[in-house]
Amino acid sequence: MDSLNLLLEGFATCFTPGNLAFILLGVLIGQIVGALPGVGPAAGMALLLPLTFGIEPVTAVMMLAGIMYGGQYGGTLTSVLINVPGEASGVMTAVDGHQMARAGRGGAALSIAAIGSFLAGIGACLAVAFVTPLLSSFALRFNAPEYFLLGVLGLIAAASLGSSPVRALIAAVLGLMIALVGTDPVTGAPRLTFDQAALFEGIDFIPVAIGVFGIAEVLSSLERSEDVQPIRTRLRDMWLTAEEWSQSRFAILRGGIIGLFVGLMPGAGASVASMLSYLNERKFSRHPERFGHGAIDGVAAAEAANNSASHGAIIPMLALGIPGSASTAVLLAALILHGIQPGPSLMTQESALVWGLIASMFVGNILLLVINLPLAPMFAALLRVPYVYLAPGILALSLVGAYSATLDMGTVWKSLFFGVFGWLMIKFDIPRPPLVLALVLAQLVETSLRQSLLLSFGSLGIFIERPISIVLLILVATMIALPVWNAIRSRRSPSRAPAAE
Amino acid sequence: MNISVNRRSALVAGGMLGIALCLPAMAQDMKAPTGPVEITVGSGAGGSPDVIMRTIAKIMNEEKIVENPIVVQNRTGGGHSNAYNYVLGKPGDENLLLTLASPVFTTPIVQGTPSVIDQATPIAGFVQSELILLTPKNSPYQTLADFIKAAKEQPGRIRIAGGASGGNDHLVTALLEQKAGIKLTYIPHESGGAARATFLGGNVEGHFGTVAEAMAVIESGEARGLAILSENRRAEDIAKDVPTAKEQGVDVVYTQFWGVAGPPKMDPALAAWWADKFKKASETAAWKDSLAKNMQLGNFYGLEEAGAYFKKEQDTFRELLTTVGLAKK
Repeated sequence: MDSLNLLLEGFATCFTPGNLAFILLGVLIGQIVGALPGVGPAAGMALLLPLTFGIEPVTAVMMLAGIMYGGQYGGTLTSVLINVPGEASGVMTAVDGHQMARAGRGGAALSIAAIGSFLAGIGACLAVAFVTPLLSSFALRFNAPEYFLLGVLGLIAAASLGSSPVRALIAAVLGLMIALVGTDPVTGAPRLTFDQAALFEGIDFIPVAIGVFGIAEVLSSLERSEDVQPIRTRLRDMWLTAEEWSQSRFAILRGGIIGLFVGLMPGAGASVASMLSYLNERKFSRHPERFGHGAIDGVAAAEAANNSASHGAIIPMLALGIPGSASTAVLLAALILHGIQPGPSLMTQESALVWGLIASMFVGNILLLVINLPLAPMFAALLRVPYVYLAPGILALSLVGAYSATLDMGTVWKSLFFGVFGWLMIKFDIPRPPLVLALVLAQLVETSLRQSLLLSFGSLGIFIERPISIVLLILVATMIALPVWNAIRSRRSPSRAPAAE
Repeated sequence: MNISVNRRSALVAGGMLGIALCLPAMAQDMKAPTGPVEITVGSGAGGSPDVIMRTIAKIMNEEKIVENPIVVQNRTGGGHSNAYNYVLGKPGDENLLLTLASPVFTTPIVQGTPSVIDQATPIAGFVQSELILLTPKNSPYQTLADFIKAAKEQPGRIRIAGGASGGNDHLVTALLEQKAGIKLTYIPHESGGAARATFLGGNVEGHFGTVAEAMAVIESGEARGLAILSENRRAEDIAKDVPTAKEQGVDVVYTQFWGVAGPPKMDPALAAWWADKFKKASETAAWKDSLAKNMQLGNFYGLEEAGAYFKKEQDTFRELLTTVGLAKK
């Protein structure tokens, strides 16, 4: 119970008026930067880093961590309300969340997202507090071969979104093609860049997501301005219903667990976590056909997963000094700037700071729930404003977001290009989420496959020599075989109900 | 009262005389910038160049060495090219500095674009980091000689996990191969942290870390330090047992370095002013403390000396990038 005592001491550190105020400030800023497309939590943390120089290191990391997980709460807002995910981890939330908002259930979507994030966040905090050493050694057993198979699982999830598998596959392949532009991750040589300096770095998620979601949506609304009706739901009908809660609670549990494990691996992150938990929820749902059309359990699973993943990323940072995500890299930088050397001995040498930080995450999650839950119906009521008035705001938010991501006009041009691209996708009824998700996963899949083969000197045997890899390989095989098997079976016995796929 | 005022003004006058006497001794006139100054960094927040610049900027402002507010701005992307193109595009700008880190030198070589340091105005090189070759705790290699012997017996079977292709880890691997006459397998990663995870997971035989990174894993018993790639061993008690590669008969010396430059056509008086300020900041106790904590070196090169130093490093980068086949003809 040593950890429990240390945690209680951590809470004592937290509960000073000054520290509480900074935790509140952190989560509020996180909420805001998370909601702005383009400005992610990592960028927000970097922006505020110089302001923490004058304050105690423990207070500084409490506030910065607040921005990190507060961002996961804030990102839900734009995903659900205007279908513009500010970060890769919000794409899965937008898939069903925005459909719910269109149907007047935006309040419920935001509420379940807040509750799901909260419960998964608290669960992940408990894991950080009590099993960090165990989990960090588990994280090290994951390497390139396992990351490759996780990425493939994510790609299967991406390609199974939307009404028609063929259309989803087309979108996913387009996403993979976009991802190939840039610098070869292993040889370092430029490829498909046509000697354009702007393409050397490749095409990032942010301009693509802002384009195909935000700008494309606005473009397409210009054509059908009369049939986009504002929702008419009254404020008091926007709360979460008991039925919706019972549909979502186990999704939150499963999403939270998947998120924690994926988040603590330095190679994967909140986006892979939300994809896998969404896929998992859909595969084992009794009503898989509702996914993509406003399934609340899809929103709950994705949001629980991305929040617990963002907490899980703290585990390798504390135990090994290895940042598990872009945000934790900034947190590590903050420690160094405050004169604290991160590394495997951080938890013993800086125990007061580490436990103060862990305790602050409990407090911050409670604050975020208190902020988000009552406000969810208010935010959802925004959609009662006719779209013609919202559109210019969405466009401005998208373009400013694109610029602020890199402070470079090139990103704005890329966003506009992908805006037109996304508009064409809407025209041809090609689902947009698989494109964006494949783009995010492509780098993980390509890099880890080639790293695996370098590690094994070219032998594919590496995928069956490692225990975790075998388990994942079986999962991948099942995921691919199951729909095929179902299709064959339903063809043999036409009397039975056709399978969901 | 009168007396004290007189005494004070006498002191002030004396001080000014002192400053006036010093002036002819300085090589160049100095001119201070007006208004806030941006230090552009090509890495994201938390990367080594970012942390170094934020640390020294903090010291300059807090200790009133520089009164102008300094903003460290991350312009990420394109292997630092977004950052250096921004600075190169503002010749003569008086409120802008560029952070020099290895990608500022290597990216133009890989992309076949004009060198950055030949256009920008060198101001100062003020911090360096030595590298240590690590091997996992349960590896059979006790010394650099064991490691090289194994690599000679089975060419290409010894694996090194490191950062991005063409980055410092990759280039130092190439240098080691060259000097020891061996062939290694280099496995690039998207970040140094990811490479360290591969190493700590026991998937490879070797990994390079800065002294601070290396000592953290050596002290926790996860790894062994085979060699420090430096002229001399570190002086700290915990690190002094790591022998240099040179004393083990392999002449590999490779130091990471960071510095600062102004835009092209920067007023020489302004460059001299900045060089002086960086020199002053690098002599503060706070900076020395930061160097000690991060186990870095604080060799200072200013102005022409810095220019010559950067050009020499650029030649090394070009040679090594040509060796690994990444330099664009």
